[in-house]
Amino acid sequence: MSSEAKLDFLKELANIGTGHATTALSQMLGGRLFQLVVPDAQMLPFSEAAEYIGGLEQLVAGIFIVVSGDVGGHMAFLIPFDSAMVLVKLLTGDDSGEMNELALSALQELGNIMITSYLNALSKMTDFLMAPSVPGVAVDMAGAVWESVLAGAEVTNEVTVIRTEFFADGESIEGNIIFLPDDDDFKKIARVLGLGEM
Amino acid sequence: MAKTVMITDDTAFMRMTLKNVIEKNGYTVVAEAADGEEAVALYKEFKPDMVTMDITMPKMDGITAIKEIMKFDPTAKIIVCSAMGQKPMVIEALSAGAKDFLVKPFDAERVVESLRKISS
Amino acid sequence: MTEVFVNMGEISAFKTQGILTTVGLGSCIGVTLYDAVEKVGVMGHIFLPRSRPKDKDALPGKYADTGIPAMIEEAVKLGARKSRLKAKMAGGANLFPNLTTNSTSIGQQNIEAVAENLKKHGIAIIGKDVAGGHGRKMRFFVETGVVTVTAIGKEAVEI
Repeated sequence: MSSEAKLDFLKELANIGTGHATTALSQMLGGRLFQLVVPDAQMLPFSEAAEYIGGLEQLVAGIFIVVSGDVGGHMAFLIPFDSAMVLVKLLTGDDSGEMNELALSALQELGNIMITSYLNALSKMTDFLMAPSVPGVAVDMAGAVWESVLAGAEVTNEVTVIRTEFFADGESIEGNIIFLPDDDDFKKIARVLGLGEM
Repeated sequence: MAKTVMITDDTAFMRMTLKNVIEKNGYTVVAEAADGEEAVALYKEFKPDMVTMDITMPKMDGITAIKEIMKFDPTAKIIVCSAMGQKPMVIEALSAGAKDFLVKPFDAERVVESLRKISS
Repeated sequence: MTEVFVNMGEISAFKTQGILTTVGLGSCIGVTLYDAVEKVGVMGHIFLPRSRPKDKDALPGKYADTGIPAMIEEAVKLGARKSRLKAKMAGGANLFPNLTTNSTSIGQQNIEAVAENLKKHGIAIIGKDVAGGHGRKMRFFVETGVVTVTAIGKEAVEI
C-alpha cells in the first residue's frame, strides 16, 4: 500500500474514532456543540513529531493511555492549558483557574472517556479488543509530555500521528488526540478492513 | 427505606459526580472505593445494597472485583459504569455477575434508572 | 547572539559564542560537553539508552550509546581536546509514574546510560539536574560554559 493510501486509511480511522470521542465530550459538557476540524494524519520524521502539535514550550495537560489486547499501541490527549481550564470550569464549576487535585482528576477522566470512546469505535469496526490502561496525567511543557509519550511508545524513526482539532461554539477549546498504533497491529486493522497487505 | 450504595471509580472527579447524582435521588452513599481491592474490602465491611463499579482501575480491575464480591455475596447488585464499552468486556462483566452495564459518559437519569431497576 | 534549538536526537556545536538550547526535556536527557580552554560546546538531546538494530537510519544523537561518541566527535571537529571535555546533564524525568511497567522508568534508564557512556569515554560529569516528575528546559552559553535549567513555575538554576 502506498504512503498516500496509508494516510487516507489513517484519516478514515481518525474520522470514526474522533466522531465518537467528541460525541462523548459533548455529552459530558451538557450537549454543547463541537466542531471538528477534518482529521489530519501524518507520518512524521521523529524529530518533527513534537513540533507538530504546537510549541514545545507551551504548557499543556496531557493524558496518556497504553492500549493492549488484539491491537496494541499508545494514545494521548493533549490540551493547551487555557483550554484545559475552560474544560475544568465546565466540568466542575470551579473557575478559579487553578490546576488543583479536582481539576487534574476531571481532566484525567475527560481524557479517559475521550480516548476510550475512540477505541470503542475502532473496536466496533474491527471486532478487535483494544483495552485502555489506567490513564496517566501530566501538566507540563508540550515537548516534555510529548517525548515522554513517544519514549513510552518506543517509537523508532517515523511517528504516525492522527491528529484532530475541535472547537466549541462560544468557547475556544482545542485538543489533539494522538494515536500511535504498534506497527504490526496497524497492519492487522488494515487487513481486517479489507485494505489488503501493507 | 433509602437504599445504600458503594461507588467505585479511580477518579475522584467521577466519584464526586456519581455521589451527587445518587444522593440527590434519595440513596445513601455509604462507601467510596478508588480501586477493585478497596471495593472488595469495603463491600465486606459495609454490605451496601448496590454497587457502581468502574472497570479500568489500578491494583485490581473491576471485573476481578465483581467476581470477588459475587463470591462473597452471590446476591450482590453491581452496576458497571465504565468508558470501556467494547462487546467482549460487556459480556465478561455480565457473565461475572454484574446486573447492568453503563457506558460513560451517561446521563444522570440513566444511572438512577438502573439503580431503581435493580433495587426492586 | 545565535541561539540554536537542539531537538530530540539532534546534536549541535558552537565555538566561542552562541547559545545551545533544548526545550521540553521529559524522559530525555540534555547533555552538554565543554572544553573551557578552546570554548567549544556541544549539546545533545538523547531519547533512549541503547541503539536498536531496527532503527538503522537513526540520528546517532537519539541513543546514549551512539550519541556520546558522536558528540565528542563534533567537539573535536571544532578544535576541542577530548581529555579537557567536561559534561553536564539534565532531564530523565518520569511524567507518568503510574504507567511505568518496568521497575525502572525510561527516564531513569536514560540517566544511567548517559552516565555510563560518559564514564566509558573518561568524561567527568560536573553538573546535573535529573529525575523527578517535571519537564525541563536547558540552555548552554558557550562563551562562558554556563548551563541553566528551568522547569515550569520554577526559577532557572545553574548546574
